[in-house]
Parts: sequence; C-alpha cells; structure tokens
Amino acid sequence: MAVAPREVDSGNVLQRKQSMYISLDESFEIRKEMYRGQQYSQIYFARLHLMRTLLYSLLPTWKPHLPSCTVLGLEEGKECIIVGTLYKHMKLKPSILDEYSKERSSSPLVKPHNFMHSDDYLVLEDESGRVKLRGSVLLPSVYVTGIVVALHGKETGAGDFMVEDILEAGLPPQIKLPLNSGEDKYVVFVSGLSVGSSSANPLHFQLFVDHITGHLGDEKEQGIAAQIVQVVIAGNSVEFPRGLLNGQNLGSKDQSRLSEPIKELDILLTQVAAGIPFDIMPGTNDPANFSLPQQPLHRCLFPGSAAYNTFRSCTNPHSFELDNVRFLGTSGQNIDDLAKYSDGKSKLEFLERTLRWRHIAPTAPNTLGCYPFTDRDPFFIENCPHVYFVGNQEKYETSLIEGSDGQVVRLICIPKFAETGIAVVLNLRNLECHALSFGTHFSS
Amino acid sequence: MASHMKGFFKEKKKLGISKAKSSKKSPKPKHSATCGSDVVQPPALVSHGSLDLQDEYDDKEEVLRQFDMNMAYGPCLGMSRLDRWNRANALGLHPPKEIENLLGASIVNSECLWDGRV
Repeated sequence: MAVAPREVDSGNVLQRKQSMYISLDESFEIRKEMYRGQQYSQIYFARLHLMRTLLYSLLPTWKPHLPSCTVLGLEEGKECIIVGTLYKHMKLKPSILDEYSKERSSSPLVKPHNFMHSDDYLVLEDESGRVKLRGSVLLPSVYVTGIVVALHGKETGAGDFMVEDILEAGLPPQIKLPLNSGEDKYVVFVSGLSVGSSSANPLHFQLFVDHITGHLGDEKEQGIAAQIVQVVIAGNSVEFPRGLLNGQNLGSKDQSRLSEPIKELDILLTQVAAGIPFDIMPGTNDPANFSLPQQPLHRCLFPGSAAYNTFRSCTNPHSFELDNVRFLGTSGQNIDDLAKYSDGKSKLEFLERTLRWRHIAPTAPNTLGCYPFTDRDPFFIENCPHVYFVGNQEKYETSLIEGSDGQVVRLICIPKFAETGIAVVLNLRNLECHALSFGTHFSS
Repeated sequence: MASHMKGFFKEKKKLGISKAKSSKKSPKPKHSATCGSDVVQPPALVSHGSLDLQDEYDDKEEVLRQFDMNMAYGPCLGMSRLDRWNRANALGLHPPKEIENLLGASIVNSECLWDGRV
C-alpha cells in the first residue's frame, strides 16, 4: 500500500515496502476447547510425554552407554539416566493453604518480589514417582518447576538422586535464513503503551505514530520510515482506571471514564492502521482473558482501526512469519514469572533459558495461569524462531544467540514505552537491532 | 474376602443425607463390584441415599477400566475415554484398537471409572 506523505516540494510519492505475512497463532487460539472438569495433570502429562520422547531421541548422542529408567525403577548405586519434570520446592512460595495454617507468624506480611530461598530443592517427577535431587550440578536457583530434563546420576543410600550431568532439550531445529540478502526492511516493536495511565505521556506515543507513518522529517527521514513493514505492539496497551472497579455498579459517567483509555488508543491506532500493518497482542492489563494463552483483543474494542485490513489482533504468545523470518514472543508474563521464582543476570538470560528448555512458559500452570489443555502443550517450541521477543520489560536489551545446530536467534527485551519512551527496531535483512527513543524535553 | 467386607462397613453415611450431585449428561450404570481385581473396584459407596451394592459390570467395562488405569496413557480423570484414546493415539502410544472399537460400537460408559466419584 502506498503512503503519500504531504508533498512539500517534490512530486515523489514514497511507497512503503511490503512483506509476506503468515500468522502462526493457530496453536494459541482456544478454538473448540471445552472445559470438562479436567485438572492440570493432563497438560503436565502431555508436556512430559512430548519432551521425554524428544529427550530419549537425544540420549544416544549424549551418553549412549548409560541405560535409562523410570524413577520407580532406580536402583541404588546404579548409574543411569532418568527423564522427568522438575519440581522446585520453595519455602517462600505463596500457598493458598497458608490462610488456614495455624502459625500465622511464619508468613511474611510483605510479599517479596522473588520467592527464592537457600533451602529450595529440586525434585524430579515422572508418572511412576518422584525423587529428590542432590549434587552441585543442578542449582535450584537456575531452574523452575515445569521443565522437562534428562539427568545422569545414581540413587544414593538416602533415597535421593545424586546428579552428575543434565541434558536440556536445547534449541529446536531452525530453517536457515539467507542473511544479508535483499533489502533493508524494518519491524518496529513497542509495548507497555499504557494509554490512560497517569505516567504515560500521550505526546511520546503521538510522536512515535507520526514517525513511523512518515509524517515527520524530510524526505530522507520519510524514506527510512517507508522501510518499516510491520509494527508489533506487545501488550499492556491500555491502563484502565482501577479505582472505578470496586465491585459497585458504575454510573454512566464512570462507565464512559472507564472506556476512555481504549477509545484513545483506538484513535491513535487508526492513524497507524492507515499507513502500516500492525499486530496488537494482549498483556496483563489489557481487556483479555487472564490465563495464557491470552486470546486476541476483540475487534469491537477498536471500531476505528479494525476497519483496516492492516489491523491484526493476535494472541499472547504470538508467532508469525514475515518474509520467511520466524517471530515468537510474549507480552512478558512468562519471563516475569521466571524472575519471581529463579535467579538470573538479566531478563535476557531468562529469555535464553526458555528457548534452551524449548518451552515458552515452564512455570505454567504452577505459578502462571494457563488453560488446562488435555491433549497438547502449546507452549512447547517446535520450530526455532529467528526472533524471540518479550514485552513490558524494564529496559531495552538484545543479544544474538547460537544453537548447537547452527541456529541463530535474535533475543529482544522490549521496554515499557510509557516509562522509557523507547521502541525497538529490527532489520529483517541481518537481524540487527536498535532502539528508537522518543522524548519531549524542551531544552532551555 | 476381608477387604471387601471393609468396603461395606467402612464409609457409611447416614441414609437420607445424600450429596447434591450436579446433574450429569447421561445416567451412569451403577458400578460397584464385589469381585474382580481390587485395582479397578472402588469400595461400595453410599450414593443417593442407598447402598450401592450392584455388581453390574461386564467384560467390556473391565477392559475399559484397565485402559483407564494404565499409566502409560496419562491421567484419566477429566477426559472422556474416547478423547483419552485419541490423545494416546496422537502421541504415538499405540493404544489397542480394541478399545476404540468398544467405545464406538457398544453401549459402554463413555467416561472413566472415577467420573462423578471424586
């Protein structure tokens, strides 16, 4: 589609570049799922079976000389490999049962941000049983409940399993991209717009919209903007005035106050939709369902922008392909949950770990709400993305990681726009990334 | 047969006080056995205000119960037997075709043995 910037001197019309878009969100959509009273044991079974089959196929190249057995089949002193789901016992993990506990004093009144404790330990579980894990190879601070791994070790006299080595699923197979071929095409990521919140400066977002639609700058600037082929809005686009939601019926004045943020967002998004394709994902604060996978925001929330065919409402997690470059990402809930229950140098490290564990949200359903699927686990990563992103983080971070089979992945932490004024720009040609910073200071 | 006698006397609820059960789709045949493998026979339950002493189950139900209890195919509660068979098939576990035939052809309980009991 053409974006015609207001012609000042020249008679040129800049054409925006285009890309082939394919949505891969099908597995995250709820489709015909019906709740039949099932519990989470079903999704854990599906996950264990899926990943155990995968890990068994990797055992011959890892340690072919060792036998594998189930947890119940462990023999004391016999070196073997067991495969199962990790469970981390955490002393400080909030439990609903604490409400009923007689000794109230042990639970702290102020909830810590991170629930780790030096007494945390790991347990491996399969259908036959569970065994406590010991040894310095497996640091409880790194792992969380829900990861499926293979462990080499032996049962001790005390009935625990002394771990000697661990095998994670690793990066999934990736279709190689011919990098550095073709022309520069850019994808812009933004998240945490928080329209309607007191901290969000509407000028920043308006500046952002003007820039990417080519309404700013001279011909050269507009030329750069014309190379943007896609925008991805990764969650928390609105912030509703929570004070109104106190359980009482809303008067008509309050009702219109409640819907103001989303109306304001729609007005701004209509400007974007008129010029450039964009994907909008739900986040924690958006009017979508709570548990993962979050379903797409309804079109009726965007009467202005949904009229355009450039408008795409997507699930969270979101996966798509653009010119054969595979993207996968979330609005942040999965990584934020990891930060609560494990330790890492940076959010980028958590992001990398989920990829190496081959699972987007291992803590679901343990501490992260998710739908109780019975026959599949949609968070299992089957194909390695080329770009793996997470939204609503504190700061912009990015790195390029490599897998053992030559996979190359660009990891991106998208910062909250309302707090930082930073959006992220990715070049499809070479997967290079840079920040786009917006500020509205007047220099004195 | 001492274990079965325990089943009669252990969990005795007052007659007349019956649990308010949510109405289920189809009337389930009352399955409480006094013979057969202990694994699949739950002790006699007092349900709907009367002792559930019928031992009406046939070979087909026995086969299906063994399928329910088989750990290899995952948990059985919360899924219909056919859904669980389909899942096992899709995951490449090669569940016996016989089960699928039973579930399609005959009049058998479509839900697992624990359905409505836990």
